[in-house]
Amino acid sequence: MNQIASQNAPSPKVVIPHYAFGGLTWLAVTLLIVFKPDAFTQHFFNPELLAITHLLVLGWITMIIFGALYQLLPVIMEVKLYSEPFAIASFILLGLGTILLAFSFWQFSFGVIMFVAATFVVVAVGFFVANVLLTAHSSTKKVIERTFIITSVIWLLFTVLAGLTLAINQVHPFLETSQIELLKLHAHAGIVGWFIQLIIGVSSKLLPMFMVSHDVNTRKLTVAYYAINIGLIAGLVSLFLQMKFGIVMSAIIIVPGILSYLSFIYEAYTKRVKKQLDIGMKQTAFSFLILVIPFFLIFTLLFNFEFLNNLTLPLSVAYGSAIVIGFITSLVMGQTYKTLPFIVWLKVYRGRIGKVVLPLPKDLYSEKVAIAQLWLFAAGFALLLLGISTTIVNLLIFSGIVLFLSAALYNFNLFKIIFHKPKNK
Amino acid sequence: MNTEEKNIFELLKGVVDPELMVNIIDLGLIYGVTYNEPEHKIDIDLTLTSPGCPMGGLIIEDAQQLIESSYPNFEVNINLVWEPMWSVENLTEAGKEALGQI
Repeated sequence: MNQIASQNAPSPKVVIPHYAFGGLTWLAVTLLIVFKPDAFTQHFFNPELLAITHLLVLGWITMIIFGALYQLLPVIMEVKLYSEPFAIASFILLGLGTILLAFSFWQFSFGVIMFVAATFVVVAVGFFVANVLLTAHSSTKKVIERTFIITSVIWLLFTVLAGLTLAINQVHPFLETSQIELLKLHAHAGIVGWFIQLIIGVSSKLLPMFMVSHDVNTRKLTVAYYAINIGLIAGLVSLFLQMKFGIVMSAIIIVPGILSYLSFIYEAYTKRVKKQLDIGMKQTAFSFLILVIPFFLIFTLLFNFEFLNNLTLPLSVAYGSAIVIGFITSLVMGQTYKTLPFIVWLKVYRGRIGKVVLPLPKDLYSEKVAIAQLWLFAAGFALLLLGISTTIVNLLIFSGIVLFLSAALYNFNLFKIIFHKPKNK
Repeated sequence: MNTEEKNIFELLKGVVDPELMVNIIDLGLIYGVTYNEPEHKIDIDLTLTSPGCPMGGLIIEDAQQLIESSYPNFEVNINLVWEPMWSVENLTEAGKEALGQI
């Protein structure tokens, strides 16, 4: 008899604080868009945009991914999480490190605080990576999803070490490559190596499970794995050595890899037993539609069309925003509704069946609020991209207000789930 | 299948998969029920739609609690089985309708 996945679940005290921190950080970022819209109208190497980006990628997205992974690793690898104290130490260090890092970037001060913050983040990631690798080591499930997750956390470690190197290079220059090119290298290692591969590893297990899809062709994932990693290594080396041809080639290798993964997800969707999609899955589907935008923008930027010369900088900011604020943020919000209610539900109702009124996990949040949140997000994101591309500050302020309303509704549901109490029979 | 086993099947319709929102009989998750009057034992063979199903523990707990409350003097054993693996063919007509299959 196999062990049941829920028996391996970690303590909710380890998982839930990550969601709370992440949700509040996303809310804070939308306020920063309202009060500092010109961060999005300048060159991407500006203090405020660096601060906002690090809040987003570390405090919001990575924080929630860490929490969700502690819950999902036992499901994917069918073993217990290696260490809960490692997870708690990682949470505290990542939280503190992110706040201090964002503060230092905002001040554009590469002093002691910046290096303390960067060290906190590196150590937090170190704890996380050790936890994932040691959990994977004790698992006998040698599946492609596991390979994606292991590879992605190694890329995360590379990304934060590259970030620390960048900070040192800013104060004591020792690398010949320009900071701007190094920043692109750091960003793409994080986006493609960490986020995209982690998303592929987790979603290729979870989405077929949520939709109850069987016999989906996992060879498509193997193709995606090799294409993404070969393309990414080629791209980063080319960025470091300033070889334009290599950068274009890397995009030409990576994009079909991602398309192969998308074809796997589409196959799972067409083979699904559960025909109706709930709000969490609808927002997830919406995230995949958003991916068309960065695909279009990356080739537009790489092919350097002459008539778009004046738009190169705004389109670069739009490209990064489409991935981080568009695709990944939308996916994280959607998957929150697929993971957090189950985590809280298991915490509240395990061992109490028959003694209390048993709701469904979807009853822990308001679906109407979630629908409004999705529509506001779609409108806010569209306005943001328009504002960035046209550099119209008022449009950016308006997009920030709409995104703030969406983030507020998201947080309303998030804390409604977290503070859910059972009703006695 | 005797009358008591039929009754247990009916009772198990009260256990709902929280993700799919369909009861476990219509999902075809129950592979067999054995009612043993002399030994005061009830054995239930149950599967899940996927080995990684995070809700498996609660479905089992719910089924166990439900049958124990209806048969208080019986030992209830829920056996989690993976052979044959669950497939869409296991769904009843009502299950297919609830999931939008027909």
